[in-house]
Amino acid sequence: MERILRIFFNNGSFFTFVGLQLLCLYLIINYNSNQAAIAAETWSIRSGKFKSALTTVNGYLDLREQNEIHRREIARLRSLLPESGYNITTEIDSIQDDSLLQRFNFLTTRIVNRSPYNPNNTLVIDRGARFSVQPGQGVMNESGLIGIVDRTTDRHARVLSILHQSTRISAGLANRGYGTLRWNGLDPRRMTLIDLPDYVPVAEGDTVYTTGFSNIFPTGQVIGTVEKTERQPGAGSLNLTVLLSNDPLRATHGYVVQDLFKEELGSLNEN
Amino acid sequence: MRGNDAISNALRFLLILFLQVFLFRQVSLGLGGKEYLFIYLVPVFTALLPLRTPRPLVVLFSFLLGISVDLFYETLGVHAAAATFVGYARQFALGLLEPRDGYKAKSSPEGKDLGNRWWMQYLLLMVGGYCVFFFSMEAFSPVYWRDIVVKSLFTIPVSWLFCIILVTFLRPRI
Repeated sequence: MERILRIFFNNGSFFTFVGLQLLCLYLIINYNSNQAAIAAETWSIRSGKFKSALTTVNGYLDLREQNEIHRREIARLRSLLPESGYNITTEIDSIQDDSLLQRFNFLTTRIVNRSPYNPNNTLVIDRGARFSVQPGQGVMNESGLIGIVDRTTDRHARVLSILHQSTRISAGLANRGYGTLRWNGLDPRRMTLIDLPDYVPVAEGDTVYTTGFSNIFPTGQVIGTVEKTERQPGAGSLNLTVLLSNDPLRATHGYVVQDLFKEELGSLNEN
Repeated sequence: MRGNDAISNALRFLLILFLQVFLFRQVSLGLGGKEYLFIYLVPVFTALLPLRTPRPLVVLFSFLLGISVDLFYETLGVHAAAATFVGYARQFALGLLEPRDGYKAKSSPEGKDLGNRWWMQYLLLMVGGYCVFFFSMEAFSPVYWRDIVVKSLFTIPVSWLFCIILVTFLRPRI
């Protein structure tokens, strides 16, 4: 204690100097407009650097939350698996002993590459023919559709995004009205459902589901909601603007949907 | 001893404040809308404080003169910062210029036993320190280093000259 006091006493002029300089700085910044502007500018640059560093750190802190979201998704999917359900069909003397025969396989995949944003978007996933990924299989994630496999290699596959002008997806409403979903190449958040018969009642905000008719996606997957209805004069059909429930451009993970009945169903459509 | 007591220091305080604020404030020369030449007498007061003054008090008195000048210059804090700096730097200037046999215990910075050459060097250090620090605080950013250098180069010699003249007048009297 005595030492500290002695330091203060011996360097009295220094501490007076520092104290008065701080007071002067305060006065300069508060009562001189030029210096105040410079100080504010300097402060904003410094704090901007600090904030960007903080954002980087926060990006890592967010990982915990992201993990939690994925874990919940896995838990939800696990609860949908047949072995976690109690099959009541055997109880009611039925012949549907194959009612839970596996139809769709879901293969987790990461999106490893994507085309620059343009009217015909494609992306590349890190699953290929080795995992029996074949052209024509769908890719989706937990909040919506991503695309359709177009070409495969051993380890990778190219996917035509649903934001591709040649993509056609069979989609419909809860009331069984259905049409074709396509993208006009303009707004990556909206797609158009065409060829819906115009006697089908449609309200804004209705959910649009996959129909499963083209054996690409399972039936009843949510695609988005109806935003706008447009009657096509003379054609007897409606065009719906569909607001997508996911953002295919920013998706990082997905599931390849492998329809095990595809060949069988496809053979029925052959002439 | 003349020039060494509290009253003459107070008189010098008022005289320098008066000269600086009412006379030399009007002096500013420059080219093309920018002013480069000013005359500052403030460091003379700090330079003339008695050698035995406790160092914290040197800093404090310099600050008081600086802030008084600021009140008239409408640059609150800038002169005060420079004067405080000079008040702190005085001990180092004195140490740098110390004669071989040291300062006499009772002396103020007196011309009689220190000589004109010593005085000129001493004042140059004080005025130089004051101007550089003052212009730095006025610009407030190293971006304007050219302004700082040019203003210092013009101001220091002229201020130095005026300080020498002032000291020559003051020393025998107050």
